[in-house]
Amino acid sequence: MDHFNDDEIGQLLRLKRHEQPPPAYFDNFLHEFHRRQRTELLRQPLWRIALQRAHDFMFQLNVPALSSYPAAAAAILICAAVLSVKVYQSPDAGSGGTLATTAMVQQLPRVPAETDDAPWSLSTPVSTRGLDTTPFRLAKESAQTHRAAATTPRYVLDSTPVSYEAALRF
Amino acid sequence: MRQPFGFKNDVASAPLLFPLSARVFLAAALLSGIPPLHAQEQSTSSISREVKEVFERSAKAVVKIRAVDQHGKLAGTGFFIDSAGTLYTAYSVGADAEDFTVELEGKEIPAHQVMTDRRSGIAILKVDLPTPALPIGKSSSLELTTPVLTVGFPLDLPKTPSFGMIAGFDRKFLGRYFSTTHLRVNLPTQRGEAGAPLLNFKGEVVGILVSSVDNGSACYALPIDAAEKIRSDFVRFGEVRHGWVGINVAPAATPMEGSRAQFTDIMPNTPAAESGAKPGDILLQVGITAVREPEDVLDASFFLTAGDPVPITVFRGDEKLTFTVEAGFHPATPRPRIASPLSPGQAMPLGLDRTP
Repeated sequence: MDHFNDDEIGQLLRLKRHEQPPPAYFDNFLHEFHRRQRTELLRQPLWRIALQRAHDFMFQLNVPALSSYPAAAAAILICAAVLSVKVYQSPDAGSGGTLATTAMVQQLPRVPAETDDAPWSLSTPVSTRGLDTTPFRLAKESAQTHRAAATTPRYVLDSTPVSYEAALRF
Repeated sequence: MRQPFGFKNDVASAPLLFPLSARVFLAAALLSGIPPLHAQEQSTSSISREVKEVFERSAKAVVKIRAVDQHGKLAGTGFFIDSAGTLYTAYSVGADAEDFTVELEGKEIPAHQVMTDRRSGIAILKVDLPTPALPIGKSSSLELTTPVLTVGFPLDLPKTPSFGMIAGFDRKFLGRYFSTTHLRVNLPTQRGEAGAPLLNFKGEVVGILVSSVDNGSACYALPIDAAEKIRSDFVRFGEVRHGWVGINVAPAATPMEGSRAQFTDIMPNTPAAESGAKPGDILLQVGITAVREPEDVLDASFFLTAGDPVPITVFRGDEKLTFTVEAGFHPATPRPRIASPLSPGQAMPLGLDRTP
């Protein structure tokens, strides 16, 4: 840069001021800009591009504000799950559990006692659970039980006596 | 020293202004105002004590009744009338339902329907246990303003007393005749109290609560004499036998012998048709019931029992005539459904002394 003096630099600047790009240069400028930008981007690894885009997307959507919606939805789902479990439980959780356990035990074939101490062999009967598709407690029964327990009775007191005489006769 | 407004001087002059006799009179007058106030407090306290005593004495025999009808579960009140577990309740509680239980001393005890009667508005249930019972009184001894109380189960609340007084003896309500006179009682009621006993201050049952009036500010009760007539029929015949003769009655233009009840129609094929009664006769008496107004025949009719002889006294021309007919079955009353006729060993004790 030392072989240019100030006069020469000034002359060059004056010359550049009058230079014009070719006639189609500005028509293709934006397209060329994007092409070069993509080329530059593709030099990065794919995961970094994805991360960068996700990052930009989140910031664009105001993530802190949006995060409350998934949290609320998750809370509602948890509540619904807890309520559904409670609704379909038996009224007496203890006895209901006992009954269910009893029913399950009754369905399991009991392995003969003598086999407990006997050495295991291929001929020993294997305890298997019968694949009965009948549920231990039908949903209908469960619903009836709970509705019956929760139903408020009709407290009776008529607004007029039922006693009635059509005419004055005897 | 002159002390025109001195305290001592005022006191000293008092004997001059009010001599001893006047002061005694004044004191007596003042004291005479105290006894009425004191007596009023005593009277209120006495009523409260009596109500409490009756409630505590009667509460054990009053039970909550639960049942199931076509609309679902229902709850009402009932009360035991003997130690064998017989209990009265309202028709709307004990008639068109099943799976009856009563809550006695904290336990649910199954009950069964003994009989129901729509014409009177009552039902009788029974539990197979020895039970406390309420004594039966006389509703005929009630007067206007007689104090009464009831014990019932309003809504899902515990046993609750209500206090009021007899406000009327009504034969019709909202243009409809009752089958017999009902007691209108000024005591507040709530749903769930149908079938509750109406008690006098002796603790005796004088009525059965059957309905509310005007959104629960008052209520109607069937007189216990009417309920006992139904029970007496059931004990005698195993069914309720509402009787009738077959005569229509209307107001006469001119009262005769103190009665305004005039025969208008003698219905064919009824006991009255062959009795000799004629249209235009003035009715004076049916059985032991004197008749003054046409509405009096409601009670006269209610206490008739089919199959019983009924003396009827009328005024015709210038003479009184009495003829006797055998009452038939009341046509407007279907034969009541008898759920469980009592066997001879299960007969309900009965203490009736009213002769229909």
